[in-house]
Amino acid sequence: MLNTLRWWREILIAFSALWLARWVLPLPFMNEVLIFSIYTIGCNFLLGRVGFISFGQPAYLAVGAYGTAFYLSYFGTNPYVGLLVGLGAGFVFSVLVGLLFVRLRSDYFALVNLALAVIVFYMLQKVLVDVTKGDNGLWFLTNIDATPVFNLTRPAEFFTFCVFLGGLVWALYKYLDDTLFGACCLASKINETKLEFIGYDNFKIRLTAFTIANTTTALAGSLYAIYLGFVSPEMTSVSRAADPVIVTILGGVGSLWGPLVGALAYTGLRDVASKFIGNWELIVGVILVTIMMTNSVGLYGTLESWSKRLWRRVVALKGGA
Amino acid sequence: MLERSDHLVVKDLNVSRGEARVLFDINLHLAPNEIIACVGRNGAGKSTLLKSICGFLPADSGTVHGHGQPLSGLRPYEVARLGVKYVPQDKRVFSDLTVRENLELGSYASGDYDWDPVISFFPKLKILMDRKAGHLSGGERQMLMIGRAILGKPKVLLIDEPTEGLAPIIVIHLKHVFKELSKTAAILIVEQNLPLVCAISQRVYALKEGRFVAELQGDQIRTDVCEHYL
Repeated sequence: MLNTLRWWREILIAFSALWLARWVLPLPFMNEVLIFSIYTIGCNFLLGRVGFISFGQPAYLAVGAYGTAFYLSYFGTNPYVGLLVGLGAGFVFSVLVGLLFVRLRSDYFALVNLALAVIVFYMLQKVLVDVTKGDNGLWFLTNIDATPVFNLTRPAEFFTFCVFLGGLVWALYKYLDDTLFGACCLASKINETKLEFIGYDNFKIRLTAFTIANTTTALAGSLYAIYLGFVSPEMTSVSRAADPVIVTILGGVGSLWGPLVGALAYTGLRDVASKFIGNWELIVGVILVTIMMTNSVGLYGTLESWSKRLWRRVVALKGGA
Repeated sequence: MLERSDHLVVKDLNVSRGEARVLFDINLHLAPNEIIACVGRNGAGKSTLLKSICGFLPADSGTVHGHGQPLSGLRPYEVARLGVKYVPQDKRVFSDLTVRENLELGSYASGDYDWDPVISFFPKLKILMDRKAGHLSGGERQMLMIGRAILGKPKVLLIDEPTEGLAPIIVIHLKHVFKELSKTAAILIVEQNLPLVCAISQRVYALKEGRFVAELQGDQIRTDVCEHYL
């Protein structure tokens, strides 16, 4: 029991703090941070644990979002069912794409995913225009039913639901990090050949990791769809393809809390800096270059090492006194 | 002379790397509890031989059988699951994982969670369990790699230059380990350390420019004879 509580401790503290932050920070901002961090954690897992860099994450986001949007526009009104439909669509899409893509490594993997994002964008904008309404997008905000427990049509309750769901997602990735599967993923990143010599099928490991990560991305897409009540092909635009990779690097590649810190910093910078500078991406760019040039461990890693150093000083001062 | 009970049988194996043929008509057999060595100069094709047996390099022609089952055409992980384990030369462990995690990987793949034999062969690993494998010395890495390979009680161990760059005291330790391991497994070792080869091997194959040019047995296994083929 004590061990279970210890295991959950940091997740409970972090998400309780996030939930309380809604009284200080604007609710739309907090909702966006939470969804963005769920969007990024899959990319962070792929990059940090498996060594896959993907510029195609918007494609998986869109599959989740449009899965939910189709259900809520044409078939039903329950947002929870819509969420499950988006999640299911993301899972099936990830498995099918993964069967083809996970054999590739490094630059080929990155580019083929970028191409996928372009294909999905084109499909949503042009090919499936009868059902997607092309650039006009799908509006379904008024179709969404009020639901008991968490009424997802109300931003405050949607936020609480996101905090709860975010806690579960983080628990899943913490569990993956702790298990042998997580170790296999890391081993595959370090030396895939040697992993085969021990007796592991690299393809299955990568496919499983790819599917888990991109199904999480699809979950973020579903949440976006329910939150906004609107989807458009713009979400898969190539200009947004690098966003999750940027947030991953900004937060700290491979660290559990990197995506949350990265999403908070990125969304915050965008909201604050865009009030003063038109091209706010310039600031993010400078920070990213600094992080990469100094071989930094990202914002989370930097904060962690600073806090440890501060703690050691406090302990030393107490000892001296 | 090939026996039905041989743990490993290689017949007329030809292997190329790109356009260049590296191994020519290799024939060898490995009986249970036997240690055989393969010696030769750098570039003779020793590592290629092991990599081809374990499925990493496809053969142009010829067959490989492990414990009666055909290994030709299988992927490295399938060969490993059939009890033929390869310990590579480069000593590159999974550096970001701890020693414990490295062993757990071996345990899960082989379904063998009994670490007692590993610890009895390499007691030092017990005190290094929570250390990142990237922070181990060369000798410790070799211990970890062999320890991981013997999980699941493999029938055949293919070990590529295990003593390269190691301190003499560790080489002596490994010599005893190989002798002990041969009580439960057959070992094919590729090595340039001739005193070690002569001390542990029942047979020695000399490889020159991709061909076996001699098979030494009994009194023939002496460093001065082996040196002739280096």
